[in-house]
Amino acid sequence: MTTSESTSLLQVQHLAVRYGAAQSLFDVSIDIPVNSALAVLGSNGAGKSTLARALSGLVPPSGGRVIFDGKDISKWSPTKIRRAGLVHLPEGRGVFPALTVMENLRMALTTQRGGKDASLDHAFELFPVLGQRRKQLAGTLSGGEQQMLSLARALMVSPKLVIADEMSLGLAPKLVDVVFESLGKMREAGVAVLMIEQFASRALAFADQAIILQRGTVTWAGRAEDAGEELLHAYLGGATAA
Amino acid sequence: MLSYVLAGLGLGSIYAIAAGSLVITYVASGIFNLAFAAMAYSVARFYYFLLVEEDWAIIPAAIVSLFVFAPALGMFLYAVLFRHLRLRSTLVKLMATVGLSVALPPLINLWLEQPTDPTAPGLAPRPLATYDIFGSTINADQLATYIGLVVVLIVGVGLLRFTNVGLKVRALVDSEALTSLSGTSPGRVSLGVWAASATLAGLAGILIAPTAGLSVGSMTFLMSAAFAAVVAAKLRSLPLAVGVALLMGVATNVVQKYIDPSSDFGAAVVPSIPFAFMLLFLLFYALRGQAGDLVAGGALDRAIATQGGDPSVVSAVTGGSNRLILNPGVLAGVIFVGIVAFMPGMLDRFWSGLLAGGIAIAIALLSYTLVTGEGGMVWLSQITFAGGGAVLAAELVRNYEWDPLVAVLLGAVFIVPVGVIIGLLTIRLGNLYVALVTLTFGSLIQTLVFARDPFYNFGSGQPMPRPEFATTNDDFAYLGLAVFVILAILIVNVRRSTAGLAMSAVRFSENGAKTLGISVVQTKVLVSGLATYTAAVGGGFIAMNAGSTLPDSFNPTGGLVWLAVLVTMGARSNIAALIAGIMFVMMPQVFSTYVSHDYADVPIILFGLGALGLALHPEGVVIQTGNNIMKLFGRGRRTKAVVPPGTPGASGPSAHESGDVDATPGSPVSVEKITAGGQA
Repeated sequence: MTTSESTSLLQVQHLAVRYGAAQSLFDVSIDIPVNSALAVLGSNGAGKSTLARALSGLVPPSGGRVIFDGKDISKWSPTKIRRAGLVHLPEGRGVFPALTVMENLRMALTTQRGGKDASLDHAFELFPVLGQRRKQLAGTLSGGEQQMLSLARALMVSPKLVIADEMSLGLAPKLVDVVFESLGKMREAGVAVLMIEQFASRALAFADQAIILQRGTVTWAGRAEDAGEELLHAYLGGATAA
Repeated sequence: MLSYVLAGLGLGSIYAIAAGSLVITYVASGIFNLAFAAMAYSVARFYYFLLVEEDWAIIPAAIVSLFVFAPALGMFLYAVLFRHLRLRSTLVKLMATVGLSVALPPLINLWLEQPTDPTAPGLAPRPLATYDIFGSTINADQLATYIGLVVVLIVGVGLLRFTNVGLKVRALVDSEALTSLSGTSPGRVSLGVWAASATLAGLAGILIAPTAGLSVGSMTFLMSAAFAAVVAAKLRSLPLAVGVALLMGVATNVVQKYIDPSSDFGAAVVPSIPFAFMLLFLLFYALRGQAGDLVAGGALDRAIATQGGDPSVVSAVTGGSNRLILNPGVLAGVIFVGIVAFMPGMLDRFWSGLLAGGIAIAIALLSYTLVTGEGGMVWLSQITFAGGGAVLAAELVRNYEWDPLVAVLLGAVFIVPVGVIIGLLTIRLGNLYVALVTLTFGSLIQTLVFARDPFYNFGSGQPMPRPEFATTNDDFAYLGLAVFVILAILIVNVRRSTAGLAMSAVRFSENGAKTLGISVVQTKVLVSGLATYTAAVGGGFIAMNAGSTLPDSFNPTGGLVWLAVLVTMGARSNIAALIAGIMFVMMPQVFSTYVSHDYADVPIILFGLGALGLALHPEGVVIQTGNNIMKLFGRGRRTKAVVPPGTPGASGPSAHESGDVDATPGSPVSVEKITAGGQA
């Protein structure tokens, strides 16, 4: 094991992903140290969500390696990856719409041996509105409440790394604040975060490092504070860089 | 009255177990298990083996059959088949389960042999005890059925609602991807669902066997009737499925209080009741626009799914050449038809008779080439249209003394409106509903028409002579081959016509076709009409070849085998239809004559397994073999493929272009020139 592998929580080496005949990611390499945050930026169709899905095992890589916590997880199932401590909060309300709020939270705890009641109490403490709606079907919650439920499912299980894919998409500004506060709490608890975000400026303010994906390749990588407005405009255009 | 209700509840309970199992497996796996009857038969046959042939007691035989054999069967089928199907198209899923329904019963019979007595005992001890309930008598078999349903409901609802296992099943129904992201293995949950489904199928099979008989046919009829409850439940509401199933059972028996079931009218009405239920619910949902196929999983599941492998789409994409001369497909067709044309003169009378029968079936199979291959619709009633063509042509010959060939060719025209009406009724429904409706329609016509006199006539049907100029097997084979070639050329021309292009457009995307101004209704009705005519002509030829209509040969169960054979060979190839027809008739006889009579069913098993293989090779054996041959010839002159503009994955840099970019955040890359790259 190299020095960088020993300090890295997640190392992605030359990752490639295909959907059938279409290649979505080309030779992507990233490195996330323990308790750090990486912002992944890029326009629509750049491959950000594909990167998240490949890391969590939902789509198999067609090339490259993914090392998580010292283990090669490139060929692991999503279930095994989740059990290893990598939680993926997918784009677009990652909740089970036909299950109640309580059942959604119970599903998040299926891998946990004990202390389930304490975890549930913790979730309701973080998001009191979920406690009030515990018997309501998740599909009938508002968009913001669904995102809270999604975040609660991650916060209550103490993961090592959370991949948050467009968590603020379609939310009111106040609720976007709630999302960022929640992710901040995760970092305070020692959780590393890979953030895919439309609000580039907020994401860069939150993260330590950043990469810009363009047409499936990493076209810029560096410290988040080094990503100036001119660079973002060049890659993302005015709307997304805002 | 109470005795009728109680008897009806017994029948309804069996329907309810079947319908409930179908609904649960469908919502949990996205697969509508058309092989439910085959699984029911397999478990019931195993139970019969232990109980009767091995002299086991009822309880150990039931425990081993239902809780060891059935779950093992369900888990095995999941491992080898169902797990590959979840995100496939409805067409592939249906074809695969059709293949299973074809292959499984003969496989079981190959192992355990045909049951010696089709009236198998159920779960109650013999002689049957009787019980008096409020002045009405029920027997122990009925009591076992009630208990069976109550136990299934209590255990099923309890498991689903109040346990972690049930929670995981319901989560899987919502989204397989999210379930796996929650740390729960969807594979393990599905394994459990299919094990439970096989147990329920086995229970329904064991419970129905004492009254309906231990045969695939009786189980298929049970399944067809249960479809009505499943359709009523819109494929997904368990309480509604169970409720309607019980109601159907009660209605079927209560009607017999007022209508003598042994009368002609009663014999027609009683078995039609489940189908009347289905029709009512279908019309209700269709008029309200609520009868589309269930889309498996959530948005995330669909986002990570790739091409569904629809055979009607895949072969259109991968196969074919536009060259008129030296087109490999045309060449192969000419060569194969030439070989078949030589065969009658080289075979003795027996084998040339079989060949003529195979060609007649090939004509009927062309209807699947049209409706499934071109239209992309899963119709399971083509064999019924073939039977209709046979029966009508025989009646025209018998009553009006028409020439047999004219009766077949013109009589088929009168069957076309039936197909068109079914097409019109089902066009707004999803593919799965179409399959269920057409299979149920086939069962209904079998019961109401083919099994009634004067058409049935003790199973031999009405005489149907061959044309005077083709009375010998050889001549009739040539006549059949000529008609096949004419219809095949017609199909090829339709495929190349504007109407054919419209069919292709509708098959690929109905919404896309609508945006081009193509009428989906008009296109599908055209396909339905042509396919119905072709099937009816094929049926007429089958009857002419046999010299009689033989109504039992047009059973919908047989239609599933036809379809399995055809899709094994290729759903869009005319030559595949010819090969399939000939193999369907000749292969069992080849095995029976040259291998052993005991192995006569082996080809049927192979056809079923071939349809299962659709999950891996949607294009079918013929196209696949043709492609392999073309690859062999083209190996020496292969050049680098030119990727047309707009091809997915064609854009983006090649590996060597980006291979030396180290984009690790800790060590930022230096990018020489930053361009907006059209992304702004």
